[in-house]
Amino acid sequence: MAVVAAAAGWLLRLRAAGAEGHWRRLPGAGLARGFLHPAATVEDAAQRRQVAHFTFQPDPEPREYALETQSPLPRNFEMGQTQKMNLFQSVTSALDNSLAKDPTAVIFGEDVAFGGVFRCTVGLRDKYGKDRVFNTPLCEQGIVGFGIGIAVTGATAIAEIQFADYIFPAFDQIVNEAAKYRYRSGDLFNCGSLTIRSPWGCVGHGALYHSQSPEAFFAHCPGIKVVIPRSPFQAKGLLLSCIEDKNPCIFFEPKILYRAAAEEVPIEPYNIPLSQAEVIQEGSDVTLVAWGTQVHVIREVASMAKEKLGVSCEVIDLRTIIPWDVDTICKSVIKTGRLLISHEAPLTGGFASEISSTVQEECFLNLEAPISRVCGYDTPFPHIFEPFYIPDKWKCYDALRKMINY
Amino acid sequence: MAVAIAAARVWRLNRGLSQAALLLLRQPGARGLARSHPPRQQQQFSSLDDKPQFPGASAEFIDKLEFIQPNVISGIPIYRVMDRQGQIINPSEDPHLPKEKVLKLYKSMTLLNTMDRILYESQRQGRISFYMTNYGEEGTHVGSAAALDNTDLVFGQYREAGVLMYRDYPLELFMAQCYGNISDLGKGRQMPVHYGCKERHFVTISSPLATQIPQAVGAAYAAKRANANRVVICYFGEGAASEGDAHAGFNFAATLECPIIFFCRNNGYAISTPTSEQYRGDGIAARGPGYGIMSIRVDGNDVFAVYNATKEARRRAVAENQPFLIEAMTYRIGHHSTSDDSSAYRSVDEVNYWDKQDHPISRLRHYLLSQGWWDEEQEKAWRKQSRRKVMEAFEQAERKPKPNPNLLFSDVYQEMPAQLRKQQESLARHLQTYGEHYPLDHFDK
Repeated sequence: MAVVAAAAGWLLRLRAAGAEGHWRRLPGAGLARGFLHPAATVEDAAQRRQVAHFTFQPDPEPREYALETQSPLPRNFEMGQTQKMNLFQSVTSALDNSLAKDPTAVIFGEDVAFGGVFRCTVGLRDKYGKDRVFNTPLCEQGIVGFGIGIAVTGATAIAEIQFADYIFPAFDQIVNEAAKYRYRSGDLFNCGSLTIRSPWGCVGHGALYHSQSPEAFFAHCPGIKVVIPRSPFQAKGLLLSCIEDKNPCIFFEPKILYRAAAEEVPIEPYNIPLSQAEVIQEGSDVTLVAWGTQVHVIREVASMAKEKLGVSCEVIDLRTIIPWDVDTICKSVIKTGRLLISHEAPLTGGFASEISSTVQEECFLNLEAPISRVCGYDTPFPHIFEPFYIPDKWKCYDALRKMINY
Repeated sequence: MAVAIAAARVWRLNRGLSQAALLLLRQPGARGLARSHPPRQQQQFSSLDDKPQFPGASAEFIDKLEFIQPNVISGIPIYRVMDRQGQIINPSEDPHLPKEKVLKLYKSMTLLNTMDRILYESQRQGRISFYMTNYGEEGTHVGSAAALDNTDLVFGQYREAGVLMYRDYPLELFMAQCYGNISDLGKGRQMPVHYGCKERHFVTISSPLATQIPQAVGAAYAAKRANANRVVICYFGEGAASEGDAHAGFNFAATLECPIIFFCRNNGYAISTPTSEQYRGDGIAARGPGYGIMSIRVDGNDVFAVYNATKEARRRAVAENQPFLIEAMTYRIGHHSTSDDSSAYRSVDEVNYWDKQDHPISRLRHYLLSQGWWDEEQEKAWRKQSRRKVMEAFEQAERKPKPNPNLLFSDVYQEMPAQLRKQQESLARHLQTYGEHYPLDHFDK
């Protein structure tokens, strides 16, 4: 009897594990393979790992992009020949364009030579040579310091930090050195041709050290630019702008979008301006601001608001964290009177605080309700609790509803 | 193919030789080979041999348990050319520098010394906010600077003013930076002694220690790619060598094969911390081989030793694209800075010994005298002249106004962001009302 019960218990565990895809790891799992039933029941669905908390929405095509360039007249941008690319492919494309255009440009970091742990640099070493696409030893402070040195000579340095969670050893080099190079030397020297790229944000199972969004730490540092794209098309244009920008830039790539986001992206290079937020959907009642993956969450929240509450939302992708586009946000809040900002990073000291503080200074009399921040909790990023941790559409929707009813 | 043969040759040499001996036998390769050093992990994989196959090390098996004893009793020997009385010990090591060059070495060191005295005093009188002297280490600066090309890029720490002096950086600009006046090319943004000069390829000094080390390596890599025929030299103290950035820099330079000279000024102290509390191994030179870096220790108070070592390191670094580590032993005669009183942690006798018995300036003077290139009269005249030059520059620097306060806001980025411009305007408005409470009279309008 006990044996049967034990066996039953063991089977249930295996089924549960099978539903999660972890069955291989249980002892005796190989033998149990024949016992597993197809996972088609409701319980199995509940135990299956969470699907993504967002749905990637490419921007509608065809896209006409007015670019502010050196010339006084804005140029309209035609897409030209495009190719379906996901986020990591759009990054590869940007890097490919950069190395083709700029003979001084080099790419380096951990594991970039074989193509990178997220495949962002696939094919580039073969195409451009091992002196231009190369591995460095495992040392983030070295990677960034080395990159600064290359940039000081005027060559273009594109450094990769394997996960944004590991950028902290390089914090001194970024904040005390890169950001201050031009200022402290009276513009005799600078490292403007340095760009640091790093995978960023939640990915479903990354936990403490593969999910972080550290933009707030860098927002407090005058002298660098911090940029976060929401899509492959945005990523390529913004990354190219970062690389060509004459200031050191950090480009955070939402890793969950590497494969999940795919759209038509021009093969040729193009630039999307930095420090310009984008109003991706116009509205009149509430302003929603986010960046990276979270833009897709708030876009869905805007649809929910329209459908369930008849509320018209203006959705803004901030894109550049610093220097940030105060005017676009304020202009929107003056129109709507309500602001909701959302990010995965923890609430306290997160970048929403900066936006909130500035907006209440500039638009105090236009506000109909307190500014709402829907963010991660003030905890390290948890593993199994991720579905509860992230500022998902329900939390954003709820906050929006409260703002409307204020 | 050549690589495989070279690898096999190295592998055979490995047998029966100690690690140290192996490094000495490494032959410099000609520039232009795919790799300057035979890669050690490219041996043919053969499971039939009872030899180690590990990718991580190129070594033989041993069946005796033995820990390697770190050899600190008798460390890496100190290369010198002159004795303490400025006499050449081994004539074949005499670089036979022409008179003008040796005089330039001497005058750079003495002018620096004079400037140091006057600027240290000016801080004591409240005229400048801070100063760091170079007493005792002048030899490390000029000896190395003289061995470089003028276009070689210099990354310093903060006690290398003699390099700039040797490269004829005008007294006016040294003073301008210390005073933060309107002539300061650094636009008054940094504390004194944080010099920088684009024209003379001297990267602006920053206070955080050792941060320049991996940066110098990156610059060297870029110089290699550009086929610039240029070396990068990176100065740092033995204290800064404890920083993680130093480890990072050494490792990157070796793995990425960069033409760089790491020049460590081991002057005995990091503020109050003596070397016995800074490291337990054989100084900094002994770390080089651990990274696969050619290394040497020299008498930093012997200008010719410093010169010879730097000259050879430069030649080979550029020719072979590999890093060199020079540890120049010296002594910090002065206090760490004007914020320090070193009598709190070391004896006056110890300091006097170095000042009187083993000083780079005295030793070179003895050499000059013995060559008949200098005498007491010229010494007196030069002292008077250098003092006068320094005083003139000093008085002029003192009289100049400070830069316009608008320069507080520029160069944060290449272009001024809108929000920063607003802050700049806000300060301008504030000064209109409250200007009397600010030292506007000293600043350029």
